[in-house]
Amino acid sequence: MPSVTTLLTLSINGQDHVFEAEGRTTLLDALREQLHLTGTKKGCDQGQCGACTVHLDGERVLSCLTLACQAEGRAVTTIEGLAGPDGALHAVQTAFLEEDAFQCGFCTPGQIMSAVACIREGHAGSEAEIREYMAGNLCRCGAYPHIVAAVRRAAEGLA
Amino acid sequence: MTPLDPTPRRGDAGDGLGARLPRIDGRAKVRGAASYALDHPVEGVAHAVIVQSTIPAGRVRTIDTRAASAAPGVLLVLTPDSTPPLRAASTWTGEAPTQPEYRPLEHTIRYTGQQIAAVVAETLEQATEAAALLRVAYDREPAVAGMDDPAAGEGNPLPPLAIERGDAALAFAGAPVRLTAEYRTPREYQMPIEPHGLIARWEGDALTIWEHSQWLDGMARTYAEWFGIPFEKVRLISPYIGGGFGSKALALAHGALAALAARQLGRPVKLALTRPQTFTAFGGRAATRQVLELGATAEGRLLAIRQRGCNETSVDGVWIEPLSSVTALMYDLPNFSSQQHLVPVNTVLPFAKRAPGENPSAFGLECAMDELAYAVGVDPLALRLRNHAERDPQSGKPWSTRRLREAFAAGAEAFGWARRRMAPGSLREGRLLIGWGMAAGTYPVRRSPGEAMVRVLADGTVEVASSTSDMGTGAYTILAQTAAAVFSVPLAQVRVRLGDSSLPRAPVTGGSQMAGLMTGAVDKAARAAREELIGLALTDPRSPLRGVANTLAVEHGHLVPPRGEAPPLPIGALLTALGRDRIEALRDTLSENGLTPEDRYRAFTTVSSMRPPTDGDYSMHSWCAHFVEVAVDEALRSIRLRRIVTAFDAGRLYNPKLAESQIKGGIIMGIGQALLEGGMIDPRQARVLNNNLADYLLPTNADVPSIEVISVGEPDPHASALGGKGVGELGIVGVAPAIANAVFHATGKRVRELPITMADLV
Ligand code: FES
Ligand code: FES
Repeated sequence: MPSVTTLLTLSINGQDHVFEAEGRTTLLDALREQLHLTGTKKGCDQGQCGACTVHLDGERVLSCLTLACQAEGRAVTTIEGLAGPDGALHAVQTAFLEEDAFQCGFCTPGQIMSAVACIREGHAGSEAEIREYMAGNLCRCGAYPHIVAAVRRAAEGLA
Repeated sequence: MTPLDPTPRRGDAGDGLGARLPRIDGRAKVRGAASYALDHPVEGVAHAVIVQSTIPAGRVRTIDTRAASAAPGVLLVLTPDSTPPLRAASTWTGEAPTQPEYRPLEHTIRYTGQQIAAVVAETLEQATEAAALLRVAYDREPAVAGMDDPAAGEGNPLPPLAIERGDAALAFAGAPVRLTAEYRTPREYQMPIEPHGLIARWEGDALTIWEHSQWLDGMARTYAEWFGIPFEKVRLISPYIGGGFGSKALALAHGALAALAARQLGRPVKLALTRPQTFTAFGGRAATRQVLELGATAEGRLLAIRQRGCNETSVDGVWIEPLSSVTALMYDLPNFSSQQHLVPVNTVLPFAKRAPGENPSAFGLECAMDELAYAVGVDPLALRLRNHAERDPQSGKPWSTRRLREAFAAGAEAFGWARRRMAPGSLREGRLLIGWGMAAGTYPVRRSPGEAMVRVLADGTVEVASSTSDMGTGAYTILAQTAAAVFSVPLAQVRVRLGDSSLPRAPVTGGSQMAGLMTGAVDKAARAAREELIGLALTDPRSPLRGVANTLAVEHGHLVPPRGEAPPLPIGALLTALGRDRIEALRDTLSENGLTPEDRYRAFTTVSSMRPPTDGDYSMHSWCAHFVEVAVDEALRSIRLRRIVTAFDAGRLYNPKLAESQIKGGIIMGIGQALLEGGMIDPRQARVLNNNLADYLLPTNADVPSIEVISVGEPDPHASALGGKGVGELGIVGVAPAIANAVFHATGKRVRELPITMADLV
């Protein structure tokens, strides 16, 4: 069976990308292997770690469980698209830096994309709520208390 | 690639060691711009997928590759039949190979999940599909699933680990208070969030490997030996590592296969293990079992401990998880006997996970001390103070520094331990049973030499370079701070390059030794560069400061005549006047570690010259005390942590902000060990059943309570050049017993096997 590829157009971080992909190609693999947007990480490829979190039309999704073709016609935002055009960091990125909310940094793009959505969803009201709504993003370095502090700080700054 | 864009800050002397500064690699990490192994763009890369054995023991009879080879995009199928052998490499401990050849794919199967084939294709999807088309026929043989398998037997004694101090049998027999208990820990996995993988590329006989590495030089040596090329022909690149915890220190079989495939295809190959494959492609922590017999006076003074333990190893080799490492030295203990067996089973060879040895050792001892506290009716903290060791009872040497009493005091104070009531079940909030538990921990100071280059550029920038690595420890930042302190420049003016085997040498980033040894090497190189600058400023005819003074200080990036004989001269201005673009110094700390220049290669590419904690006049260790509160739901028996306070003595902290993060990370991994993590082994297939992150549970944000950490350390001049002791592993040691003791306090139920789950409390 020959591999069947189709031409996809994805809008990523405000820019259109046109490329060939197979129907089975995940959004995560398309981002990383074809478009060289490697800020989004693969921690499990099974929807279990959150490292691959990106936004589709502003909502957080796991890009390892999303086919690239499902993202057509929707706005994809990745960690690379979070800072301003002038390079100014997003409030959540700044808060992660200030609170030392990471060690190795591998889970961090996913944590930050989740955190931005968590605040936008209105789920950053208390520490307990943040812990619950950030629980889908694993951090083996154990930066959790600092992630909670960073989300709080950013939520207050954005309020 | 390296953090060349540190957050610009206003710098002053406050950018030196000891300052609470943010990570200089942080900006790259929060922008998604830090490149980890598989992030490097490599032109023309092909994708490899490995296939693992589905039987635990026997042979691969045949692998039918026809369908896979014919699948779209497939470039190469490697099987035990089609894969040429490599040369055998010496071991990481420096022993010569026992056989001439190394086969990354073998017919003989020793464990489920052993790699038996690989498929390389144009795309990852094609390689994954083709790998599923391989038809493997096996000849199966009986296997030993784990150390509790009746076929496992007693295992083999390990005489070098045996300790006989005093007469433990006699003292135990005569002790007024005696208790005996067995403690168990399961297979545990490191599970960094970055799964293992690499990209290999050949150019002629030169091999470049992008692979996460806790040990650039050791892994580069292994690749060089496998492929029979000089060490200098291998370049390993690893500027960022997505967590290691012991699992990324060695070159592994899948790495050999990727490099082999790349050579055979004449194009670069990327190989990423799947998450399930990371459970068997390298070893996690060995399962352990130990029986402890404690004899004590009626007041709880220890008279004797007898320890009989074992750990799993593989039929494939020897892994020792030393169970006596904490037991032997934590308390003033006149009579101690310890023996340990190794039980070979059909598993991948276990390896290091955060605090190998100390971790399960402390689990047994610190639970047993709690049991003793209840047996004699003495508060658990008071019992520990009563048995405080004034010197190392095993080596007889004085401690270099041991601020464990201070840790107990600070932790107890912050936690409110004095308000604790002894009786189990005495604290309650509605249907929640509240328990308070505590335990101590320790980790030894290990020492190896390091090497670093420090360079001062004409624009005043200071560059630091070494092949050591930063897996989240903060190496970039503390090494920048070290150099910033010597030249008294702002941190933003220091650039650090790490994680490249073409840079000056460094030993393994493991055993919690990196910070101590590398700050020492960078400090030495920076001082040498500074001396050279001062020398040139005083003597070079082109120097504006020549003849002005006979000494100079370096302050705020300027050369300063001590009595104001001339205005301070910026370092960059001196270099310009001298017509030089740089001053640099390469220094190592071989001689400080009793080594000669001839030892250089061996010292950095094997662990054979790592010095133990008692090498010298002192016994050197970090110390900690954990205090935890749990809440057990009376009806559901669910266990929730409510708060943790940890006080620790890791000597001087080079950057307290980052060291505290690491201690908290260790504590959180300890929470996982206590309540969540454990490999479940299918007794028939000797297979890890829960080989994914939804079944092998890591702590999530929702599992972690507020954690307070308090440093009580002071500089230890014996432990390292700049006074620090190990941080990375310390935090996890003692967490699991503190939690187990808190669960006992809440419920009256003593659980001696990890992880502690609801089922244990029903
Ligand atoms: S990689 Fe998508 S959830 Fe882990
Ligand atoms: S920072 Fe390492 S996994 Fe989260």
